[in-house]
Amino acid sequence: MAGRDTNPNFMNGVPELLILRLLRKQEMYGYQIVECIRDRTNSVITIGEGVVYPVLHGLERDGALKSRRKRVNGRSRIYYSVTPEGRTRLAELSGSWNSLAAAIRKMLKGGQHVGAF
Amino acid sequence: MSGPFSELRERLLEAGIAPRYARRYVRELSDHLADLTAEEGREGRSHAEAESMALRRLGSIDDLASALIERREFQSWAVRAPWAIFGLAPIAFLAVAWSVALLILWAGWNIFLPQADSPFATSIGPIYGIENACFQTGRLIYFGAPIFVGWVIGMMAARQRLRAVWPVFGTSLVALIASAAQVHASRTRVADGIGHITMRFSFGSSVQDVSGNLAQAFLVVSLAVLPYAVWRLRRPKPLST
Repeated sequence: MAGRDTNPNFMNGVPELLILRLLRKQEMYGYQIVECIRDRTNSVITIGEGVVYPVLHGLERDGALKSRRKRVNGRSRIYYSVTPEGRTRLAELSGSWNSLAAAIRKMLKGGQHVGAF
Repeated sequence: MSGPFSELRERLLEAGIAPRYARRYVRELSDHLADLTAEEGREGRSHAEAESMALRRLGSIDDLASALIERREFQSWAVRAPWAIFGLAPIAFLAVAWSVALLILWAGWNIFLPQADSPFATSIGPIYGIENACFQTGRLIYFGAPIFVGWVIGMMAARQRLRAVWPVFGTSLVALIASAAQVHASRTRVADGIGHITMRFSFGSSVQDVSGNLAQAFLVVSLAVLPYAVWRLRRPKPLST
């Protein structure tokens, strides 16, 4: 059977996409990121409060994010920001998600597949 | 480590997560918990209630642990490639340490004992002299390296909550190599001839030689695994899942 790209899981890559998008313009720490995603998506998308960190660490390990420790109001926190590599990855993820969303929108608008037989 | 995440940390380490990732994850979760507790506190809850609510929001220990454990890239090299960490790396370290030791021995021999046929002379100057210090340093590195390697292996195993199989294998391997190693010295038979030091590995040809080497290996293993054995005996029982 010829190889064909599939969408194995629609939610695959969503946390990465949202995190990269959020951090594109400002650095944030984990708690801020989770709050921000919840606020901006009106709680439609909620990333597990604790499980955001493996995603962040994975992105950092891949070179898409960088982190630095910063002391704010007497508390030391790890702030994350996007690297140039992360911007490239964001563009790729955004592109694939936009085309996926457009395809789904088209389906939902009622495009009928006439003459299937 | 105490606190709500000590169990999580143990579970991560036992699952093979590299200590640096486990430490950082727990630290960030602790910060996150503090933020959530403060947020819940602002809603008018008592500290106990707020913390309980915050822990619920953060996720169960199972969820938090599996989120990191499922990602293979966070596993330590000792788990991903134990043969390299406990097999190749100790041998490489031993080779470097012995090279340094033999270089010191060779340099000391040619500088301080130019007339001696062997660097293993009985008289190598005053006890506090630089000659003696040089030879004793070389000797310390040579004999201490296998034990030091064993300690490092034990420390890594303890830090990463590894099972005993690979650390014992690595230490035994180092001990066997150490017991089989022999240093030979010879000097060119001309005036001020240069000294040569070579190393060979042999278990001897007689039963007596072999048993002597094995006894030496046993001694090295015993000294090398002692700190690890003490740690294992004093360690609380592993968590059951």
